[in-house]
Amino acid sequence: MAHEHATEYAAQHDVAPHDRAARLRRALAEDPRTSELGVAISVRGDRVRLTGTVASAARKTEVDVVAQEAEPGLHVTNDITVVSAAEPGEAEDIE
Amino acid sequence: MITIGAVGDVHLDKDAAGTLRPALGRIADKADVLLLAGDLTRHGTVAEARVVADEFGGLDVPVIAVLGNHDYDRDAVPEVTEVLADADIHVLEGDGVVLSLPGGTLGVAGVKGFGGGFEGKCGSAFGEPEMKAFISHTVAAADRLRTTLNSLDCDVKVALTHYAPIPETVHGEPPEIYPFLGAYQLGNAIDCCDTALALHGHAHFGSERGVTPGGVPVRNVAQPVINAAYASYRLPASVQEPMTEVYQPT
Repeated sequence: MAHEHATEYAAQHDVAPHDRAARLRRALAEDPRTSELGVAISVRGDRVRLTGTVASAARKTEVDVVAQEAEPGLHVTNDITVVSAAEPGEAEDIE
Repeated sequence: MITIGAVGDVHLDKDAAGTLRPALGRIADKADVLLLAGDLTRHGTVAEARVVADEFGGLDVPVIAVLGNHDYDRDAVPEVTEVLADADIHVLEGDGVVLSLPGGTLGVAGVKGFGGGFEGKCGSAFGEPEMKAFISHTVAAADRLRTTLNSLDCDVKVALTHYAPIPETVHGEPPEIYPFLGAYQLGNAIDCCDTALALHGHAHFGSERGVTPGGVPVRNVAQPVINAAYASYRLPASVQEPMTEVYQPT
């Protein structure tokens, strides 16, 4: 029923889910607080799920704030993780 | 043997300062050189470049870099390059460097590169001036990469770009944005002249491993892809050593 939900939501808010995803993508890329191009955005009805990695916990929070400001009608699920800075394992042999 | 450490897309700013340093402090145990594949900063400001300089400066191995699209955002490339150079981080853009390392001489040709897409699904220098400018920027970068690779006199040649030279290492990204992630012209340039390895970043959702049409190994070292402070690759000192094949009938 997700599709019906999305259609109903779009009708109420006069905007399609993919337009919301596009607006969010631009906001996260162009807002200087985030400047994130590496966040995947998935809009389903009135919910958006954000995935990907960022360089710090503070940036994960900033993405939340900018996304919420850009689309206040959406419920944001922030599944972004902070990238690992661990030492690498064994070197790969390049033949 | 020469062991190369490499990472791209670290997107440093004050909030992430120092995160890589613990692993980098011990890099001399694991690599002979560190190559940085662009997007070192978030917006390309001088303040962010200083964070990069603190993070990657003063290591026990040489550090060679190209810049990425994020590093161009504030139109301060000369200032950013100068801050990095002051920390002995050698920024390449259409040129190269040869390093004498314990395992042999390593030549690195570096260029940011640009987009346009890959064979059969790419833009052309046709139509509007904006489109011609877009593709011409890519072609010029690829030409400089080819010229530099050709000119390097060394045991091992490595190509360092920010944008991807092949589609395999951007696999995982939405296909619709491939033309913004790399260009086949970079791959053709890499195939020109016994390149041992090509390293790039930019595609955070891409894949680590691929190969050019001419058989050169390609590695996407964007930090979100390698999920470590850096990745390391061990190369034989000469890619042109004659191979001896032994056939033993069973």
